[in-house]
Amino acid sequence: MKGSGALVLGIETSCDETAVGIVSGRNLLANVISSSVEEHARFGGVVPEIASRAHLEAMPNVIRQALAEAKVALSDIDAFAVTAGPGLIGALLVGTSSAAGLALALGKPLYGVNHLSAHIAVDSLNSDHKLDPAIALLVSGGHSSILQVNDLTSDVDVLGSTIDDAAGEAFDKIARILELGFPGGPAIDLDARSGNPDAIDFPRGLTLAKDLAEHKYDFSFSGLKTAVSRYLAKTPEHIRADVSASFQEAVVDVLLLKAIGAAKETGIETFIIAGGVAANSRLRALAQERSERAGLNLRIPPMALCTDNGAMVAALGSLALAKGLAPSEIGFEASSSSGITKPIF
Amino acid sequence: MRTFLLIDTSTSRTSIAVVSDSEILFQEHQDGALAHGQAISKLVAKALDHIKADTKIDEVIVGMGPGPFTGLRAGIAFAQSFAFARGIKCVGVCSLDAIASQISDPDFIVAVDARRREIFYARYTSGLRIGEPKVCQPVELVTLQLPIYGEADGEYPDPTAFIEIAATGKTYEQPIYVRRPDAYPAPVGVKFRAFTQMDLVPAFAIEKAAYGSDAWTMAQLREEYSGKNRMYLAAEFSGELIAYAGVADLAGVADVLTITVADGHRRKGIGRELLRRLIDWCRTQKCEAIMLEVRVGNESAIPLYRSFGLIEISRRKDYYGPGKTAIVMRKELK
Repeated sequence: MKGSGALVLGIETSCDETAVGIVSGRNLLANVISSSVEEHARFGGVVPEIASRAHLEAMPNVIRQALAEAKVALSDIDAFAVTAGPGLIGALLVGTSSAAGLALALGKPLYGVNHLSAHIAVDSLNSDHKLDPAIALLVSGGHSSILQVNDLTSDVDVLGSTIDDAAGEAFDKIARILELGFPGGPAIDLDARSGNPDAIDFPRGLTLAKDLAEHKYDFSFSGLKTAVSRYLAKTPEHIRADVSASFQEAVVDVLLLKAIGAAKETGIETFIIAGGVAANSRLRALAQERSERAGLNLRIPPMALCTDNGAMVAALGSLALAKGLAPSEIGFEASSSSGITKPIF
Repeated sequence: MRTFLLIDTSTSRTSIAVVSDSEILFQEHQDGALAHGQAISKLVAKALDHIKADTKIDEVIVGMGPGPFTGLRAGIAFAQSFAFARGIKCVGVCSLDAIASQISDPDFIVAVDARRREIFYARYTSGLRIGEPKVCQPVELVTLQLPIYGEADGEYPDPTAFIEIAATGKTYEQPIYVRRPDAYPAPVGVKFRAFTQMDLVPAFAIEKAAYGSDAWTMAQLREEYSGKNRMYLAAEFSGELIAYAGVADLAGVADVLTITVADGHRRKGIGRELLRRLIDWCRTQKCEAIMLEVRVGNESAIPLYRSFGLIEISRRKDYYGPGKTAIVMRKELK
């Protein structure tokens, strides 16, 4: 089924997932992901050169599979979209070059889109609710940001972000110290289920009055990481599940404290949580509880769409197309910088 | 009539050409080592505008390198998807061949920048390439006393030569990466993983057998492995520990603490694989350099370290005990 809207194919290669999604208007038709995560597991983190090699190798098949899943031909596609940043520059370039090749060969428009905005845009799929304004908490291995979404395709402000590690990165690093493997998020989530989240009082970064003046909506997880390492060194008889649960609680608590604080201050009632860390069960449960208390309308996209994927890129491209926005200039520049805030390049 | 779209991004130059029956319909390039991603789109868009709308492109030929990977991949990704979208063939050729095609010397070398102070090169005799492209340090080519052509002398791959090169059948389906790490496949049947506490006892046995009276004690081993900011790796074969290696990130400069392979498992590429993984970890930690000490006369380890680009920077006398000098080697990672 093609649905009623225009067909948009989106490509995502900003980190270790080679992903292609196809949407028709706001309907999801295909979402294919090839991950090199197992390649990276042995290093305890993503190795840029391995990721870039894997993208180039996987791309033709991932495109073919997505077309097959959506039951459409490439020539039916009305517009293309691709993540143009932020991300690993070598990885991004495989995606933007592939997308440019497709778009130029077929003479179709191409939208270079912002990865962070795309994570939020995925919430538009398979529903027709109003998308903006919203406060979004974007938490993944590469990002931890609070965004004020005034208009999803043209006006997104970054209210704050991490000043050191991303939340997902903190999970990975602590999992490595606890020998729980990579990626660390799911491993700690699982381990924490049998632990006591209040067992150890780990610090909440940038929540003191003196920090709030300058970093109201910013995060910092490096102090927490040090606190966990120090605790482990000092406490040889520690209970690992308690460490996992208490660490996780510290991260989740501070994420929600600041994001819900932003919603309250701006008076915006829609609260979206996106990015890979949205898979964390404790974050979801506590977000539900605190959103209800604050009278917020909490939205968390389905799990499969929270981690990096092509559908989110197609979704944002599709919204831009529907609004009649001009496509990105031919030869637009991909950007690794996370400081970029414009949703469409 | 057969029309070709020709693309090369293996050097700092992005070159595009459209050739139809040996008539060049369009040829243009843009220089800039960081601009490949933007340049290909602009140049191809220009080429498509330039050639008549009824001129159908029948085949894409792309330079597969060797060359700096990021720009190279941008060209290949573009070529692949363009061909896929048009339902036409995409063929890859060696970019060095398209420099060699412009040279008429009887015996010469083509060399291009490989970053990390190395070059990719190939030798051509009587117009034919001898073997596959290789990588080395520039100084190593001097001994051959042959003329060297390449980017440094203003020679770039000429994409219009791609058609003839492809016709010889010397084509490539994958980028010509040449360079380690991937040029060395991991040893067969050996599992690499993080070192754990369970490995301490077998590691101590390997340590004693390998270093005798110089071996670390169990306590030292435990201390080394459990310290801060470090990565310890283990290699196992049929469930048994056969090697371990560790590196510490000391304020941005990584120090290799040990690479130890059990007797009977040496010279099988296990040390190489461990070092490769340590270096990869250092890159993810954004270390600026990696350093290590090796005993003078260790003829199996020193060439291995050199092959990774580690260079001797100094010597430390009596480092391993009286009369046992250490060579200090270092490799920049940035």
